[in-house]
Amino acid sequence: MHLSETIASFRDGLAKVVKPKNIVDDSSVLEGYSKDCSFVAKGSPLLLAYPENKEEVQGIVRLANQSRMPLVPVSSGPPRFHGDTVPSQGGVIVDFSKMKRIVKIDPLNRYAMVEPGVTYGELIPELRKQGLRLNAPLLPRASKSVVTSRLEREPVFIPKYQYDYVDPLLTLEVVYGTGDDFRTGSASGPGPLERLKADKVNPWGPGAIDFFRFVSGAQGTMGLVTWAITKTEVLPSLQKLYFIPVEDVERFTAPMNHLLRRRVVDECLALNHINLAAILAEDWSKDYQELKANLPHWTIMVCVAGYQRRPEERVSVQEKYLMEICKDLRLKPETTLPGAEGKENTVLELLSNPWSKGPYWKLRYKGSTHDIFFLTPLSQASRFVGLMKEVVLKYRYPGDNVGCYIQPMVQGRGCHCEFNLPCDESDAKEMAEVKKLFMDASETLMKNGAFFSRPYGPWANMVYRRYAEGVTALKKLKGIFDPNNILNPGKLCF
Amino acid sequence: MSLPKHIYKMLESVVGPEYISDREYILAAHRRPMPQTKKKPTSPEAIILPGSTEEVQAIVKICNTSNIKYIATVTSLMPMAFASGPGTVILHMKRMNKILEINEEDRYAIIEPGVRHGQLKTELMKRGLSYPVASVGPGASVLANFACTSGDHHIQHGTSRTNRYLLGLEWVLPTGEVLKVGSLGSDAGWFCPDGPGPSLRGLVKGWGGQWGSLGIFTKIAIGLDAWKGPEVMPTEGHTPSYKIRLPQDCHKLFIFKFPTLDKVRDAMIEIGKAEIGHAVLKFFNATAALLATESANDFWELWNSGLFQKELARPLYVYLSTWSPKETAYEENVLKDIIKETGGEEVDESIRRIYEDNMDFFIMVGFLQRTLRLGGGWSPSKLSGDSISHMFEVGKAIPEFMGEFIEKGLILNAPDNWQVIPMEYGHLAHTELLFIYDRGLPNWGEIPLAFMQKSAETDIKHGYHASMPPNSKSLMEQLGPLYSNYHVWATKIKEAFDPNMVSNPLP
Amino acid sequence: MDTLTDYMYTMESCNHCGQCKWILGPKTRGWKYAEICPIHMRYNYDAYSGQGLINIAQELLEGELKYEDGLIEHIYTCTTCGACDINCKSIRDMEVLDTILALRVKCVEDGQAPMPEQKEFARFVESNHNIYGRPHDQRFNWLPKDLSLSEEAKTAYFVGCTTSYLHPDIACNTTRILNAGGMDFKILDAEEYCCGAPLWRTGQRESAKKLVEHNLDALRKQGIKTVITSCAECYGTFRGFYPRIAELDFGVLHITEVIQKRLKQGKLKLGKNLNMKATYHDPCLLGRLSELYIPWNGEIKAFGYHDPPKQWRRGNNGVYEAPREVLKAIPGIKLVEMTRNEENAFCCGGGGGVPVAFADFALWTASERLDEAKSTGAEAIVSCCPFCESNIEKAIRANKDTVRYYDLTELVLKAL
Repeated sequence: MHLSETIASFRDGLAKVVKPKNIVDDSSVLEGYSKDCSFVAKGSPLLLAYPENKEEVQGIVRLANQSRMPLVPVSSGPPRFHGDTVPSQGGVIVDFSKMKRIVKIDPLNRYAMVEPGVTYGELIPELRKQGLRLNAPLLPRASKSVVTSRLEREPVFIPKYQYDYVDPLLTLEVVYGTGDDFRTGSASGPGPLERLKADKVNPWGPGAIDFFRFVSGAQGTMGLVTWAITKTEVLPSLQKLYFIPVEDVERFTAPMNHLLRRRVVDECLALNHINLAAILAEDWSKDYQELKANLPHWTIMVCVAGYQRRPEERVSVQEKYLMEICKDLRLKPETTLPGAEGKENTVLELLSNPWSKGPYWKLRYKGSTHDIFFLTPLSQASRFVGLMKEVVLKYRYPGDNVGCYIQPMVQGRGCHCEFNLPCDESDAKEMAEVKKLFMDASETLMKNGAFFSRPYGPWANMVYRRYAEGVTALKKLKGIFDPNNILNPGKLCF
Repeated sequence: MSLPKHIYKMLESVVGPEYISDREYILAAHRRPMPQTKKKPTSPEAIILPGSTEEVQAIVKICNTSNIKYIATVTSLMPMAFASGPGTVILHMKRMNKILEINEEDRYAIIEPGVRHGQLKTELMKRGLSYPVASVGPGASVLANFACTSGDHHIQHGTSRTNRYLLGLEWVLPTGEVLKVGSLGSDAGWFCPDGPGPSLRGLVKGWGGQWGSLGIFTKIAIGLDAWKGPEVMPTEGHTPSYKIRLPQDCHKLFIFKFPTLDKVRDAMIEIGKAEIGHAVLKFFNATAALLATESANDFWELWNSGLFQKELARPLYVYLSTWSPKETAYEENVLKDIIKETGGEEVDESIRRIYEDNMDFFIMVGFLQRTLRLGGGWSPSKLSGDSISHMFEVGKAIPEFMGEFIEKGLILNAPDNWQVIPMEYGHLAHTELLFIYDRGLPNWGEIPLAFMQKSAETDIKHGYHASMPPNSKSLMEQLGPLYSNYHVWATKIKEAFDPNMVSNPLP
Repeated sequence: MDTLTDYMYTMESCNHCGQCKWILGPKTRGWKYAEICPIHMRYNYDAYSGQGLINIAQELLEGELKYEDGLIEHIYTCTTCGACDINCKSIRDMEVLDTILALRVKCVEDGQAPMPEQKEFARFVESNHNIYGRPHDQRFNWLPKDLSLSEEAKTAYFVGCTTSYLHPDIACNTTRILNAGGMDFKILDAEEYCCGAPLWRTGQRESAKKLVEHNLDALRKQGIKTVITSCAECYGTFRGFYPRIAELDFGVLHITEVIQKRLKQGKLKLGKNLNMKATYHDPCLLGRLSELYIPWNGEIKAFGYHDPPKQWRRGNNGVYEAPREVLKAIPGIKLVEMTRNEENAFCCGGGGGVPVAFADFALWTASERLDEAKSTGAEAIVSCCPFCESNIEKAIRANKDTVRYYDLTELVLKAL
């Protein structure tokens, strides 16, 4: 069958599943899905479909199975960064942005049930109305899908609330590559969804298998999630943000380690001056360089908070611990932001909301970025910072352009380590250099023990060629949940 | 069936003659019925004691080629830890008993299967570290508890279930290959169980574990928390009346009672939202009486006094464990605010003193097996989890079916013998109903199944997620359709990973 | 009572919790020294444990298990230290050790046991009234000439075979201490036969019973109201076995209890500085297994209710304090504790007839204990049992160790 016939045939089938207005074949629209900010090669989709409910998703999947049509799920608005939504083998984009119901917010049991099209920009204000907040990633884009963010195990900035690497994702409903639907954990039953009295907040099971883990970090290759439940937290009534300036990279993980070990702080993260400048600059041309020059090399940001009951007392206790711990480490937390005095409230405001102004902070400097991120124990973060520095020196890329973000995770037992390489997509020479740097750095870091737990784009090959037995196991799972490999083929090891 | 000689020889060549036996008197230790059931386990064909991952692999590969079933066990505490059918060998993992590493900075420990809770807990205490010790007693295997079975414990409120603390794994698959899960698979250490990409950790354990039916774990890493208590158990006295007291300025215990279950629930939720407390639980009352006494007769004296029925029908235990007296004072203030709002009051002082004198209830629960003191006929039911609200909803429906069993004299008259333990500061909770039956009754063997069936029927009728579907094949097929047909996927996974069906295929 | 069928409740109640193999939670101090059962530690199989042995007992009783090669050796490798029993009793109402002992009785009655070397005990006792086959008339060769004895005394010092024949210094020390403390006492002389411990604990109950009857008769005839012994095995046998045969109409004291009391009364003074770092090893039959046995012939009713109520021997009233108080009263002694101490002391390997039948295993067990003692930094191990002394000293010699073993009486005498 010719490609055009294939498309037409599939389109006809699609029209029986979704509303006609939700089928798009306009090439200018499709172009928007064919590439993103990553190094993943451009890949053109054939069609775009917007399902509005689970039944439509199932219909799409069953249809795709008939013709082995690849399906590429997308839930977030642009810009996209990781290459997971760029079709590797053509196919149909399944855009969940019209499945955007906030199904339920439960302040008593502290969770929100949302469809994949719900974004941080939409959910955060709704939660705030009910005295809740999200344990969110750092400055998520307003257009970022909450469900996708949770599924992809994006790091969150209140480590004390995170009990493992898939937390705060709870239960979900998924349509597998077979077209079957499934609900995980305590959402699984007994009986149909509408009969369940459970709040569906137990993520584990049913039975002896954690089904929800198979779709996490999966880049849509194991199943298409049609709703998910995420934890929410009590909105503090009192917050005090502290900044701990650190010049020496060897010293910046110890305070975070000690604070998190004792569960002293809420928000806890570290940014180097380059990233923090990019975040804080208001008038870009004026502020960025000045901030870059004046900010300490590293700024650890921690927040002590009081909730609904006796917040001042709580803050007082937490502050005492903060001071004691920092004193032992010969560090001094301050309520003013060194190098950016007066911007303290801005920081708190930024941390409490998604990034809603354009362009996204990572793109402000040069219009694009390539990020290298991985997981490591917190104690190893300094070592990787040093290693990255060594690699950068080999390339004609300015070392003082490299942004760095250290996000402790899982109560400080691990951390997300991120290096940002701002670059100008229109400068071919720079892009070539950045690409070489990116690949070299990724390989080097990996060889030295960096865990690329989310293997996007070129990392997939690097990771999986070193993990043969894991690939065998993953392919067994893939063979069960998506036997015809229609879900985002060409990603990971599939 | 006995193990063919040539297969025995092959297995013997792996471990050496000292570490394999098919002598009947050796097998006798693995085939007695547990006191809670009449069901007699099938006799294993041999007991094998591997000493390394390589030996485990070799044994598993022999089993695959020879169609011999196998199950790995350590303590064999539960009925599922025995041979589920003829032609099974037991791999007793006792010899693999090292604590391989305790990383104090990154807070994880790497252990082999034979490490017991008592050993690891006290080793960590010396270093100011801790981990969730499941309520199984100090002689039970940590690895089995984390990776293979369940994992609820008394201090889940401020921590979580063992599920969250399971990190990197070294796993001998049912076919004998070794799979390293998580960061371990990428040679990046043990700290993370998920990835790269989709998490294979999902295969290992859901709400419960695989009970040995998906291979054998030879090493795991577990996450650790900071420990606020002393370096050494402050034990005074002699067995069985040990006193383990903790300094009151940073370790304060309260036990409250409430007029209604709704109030208990409300207090539990508020405490979670306030993020205070190290342990919070609505505990069993008959079990509490068992734990508080040193003989069955003593239990009956206490139980017949009615004190525990009166005081602990709707209880809330709150244990504040802090870093400083100032923090204790703050938490106590918040707690008192909540208790006042929800209409709670402190229970009889004699009860609180029982726990204050033996804070091991919150450390290792070394005396946990007292729950079996009444002759051993006991069974947990429900054993599931969801929100605090839902768990109390489930609890309130217990009298619907339990009353009948009590009236007929089939079980101990203890309708409030159920617990709710919140986790992660109240984000979710676990519930368990314990019923106790006398083995002297003529048809006692039928009681557990009949009870659990009624319990499950009640849950299904109401749409309550209170009973987790079991691992048994026949029950899975019966109940699976009610739980998103999970049994279909679980069976496919089993078939994919254990094509020869030798890794403890459950009946 | 006391036949294997009487312990069916115990056999049916075991749920494999593992408590019989590991020291009690509150006593645990880390990874090392966490196991309590010597046979389980050495041989690893669950069948080598209190749980395993009661499982075997049940199968033998019910006919599922037949006597086969190796079974008797298996059953008799256990030192009957009772750690499994006491640990189980910390949480359950079961009689693990009595089941094991009743199993041995059954094996003897079935003509399958004991081990040949242990059968010699009965033969020697029959002919010479001691388990070593030594001449009976040499039993009191150790008596110092200047010892003060009182024919009218109602207190008797019961010496025991192992002390008399293998460690007479203990007897000398004990009698000198009693004299120094102004205690009136006598000895039974030719009327003292073996207490019966080795026979009792190897299942040769009928032979043991004869000894009991003889000794009780001898004590009664002499109007003895208090028996003092310096041997833990004798002590634990008087209190743990004798009441199963007949009612005791006398009290039993260990020499350490006597010394403790005498020190408090000021009748003994310890003035000499011994300057030693020592650790104390609790003998099984002086510690966890030393409580008085109260016969119980009741019924186990619904939900485990014992009717009439039973007096359990759970190990909480063992002789733990007295030896320690005495040691601490000796100037210059720095007492350090092993992890496995008091009711959770690790067996020395010297009991249950094991040294004669399984010398290697007895040595292994003693070496384990020696290792633990050394881990405290102690230069000396102190205990109150000649069986412990024999076995631990064997281990010291075999390991060419510099640690010394002392019976407590030796140190007390030195410090007088």
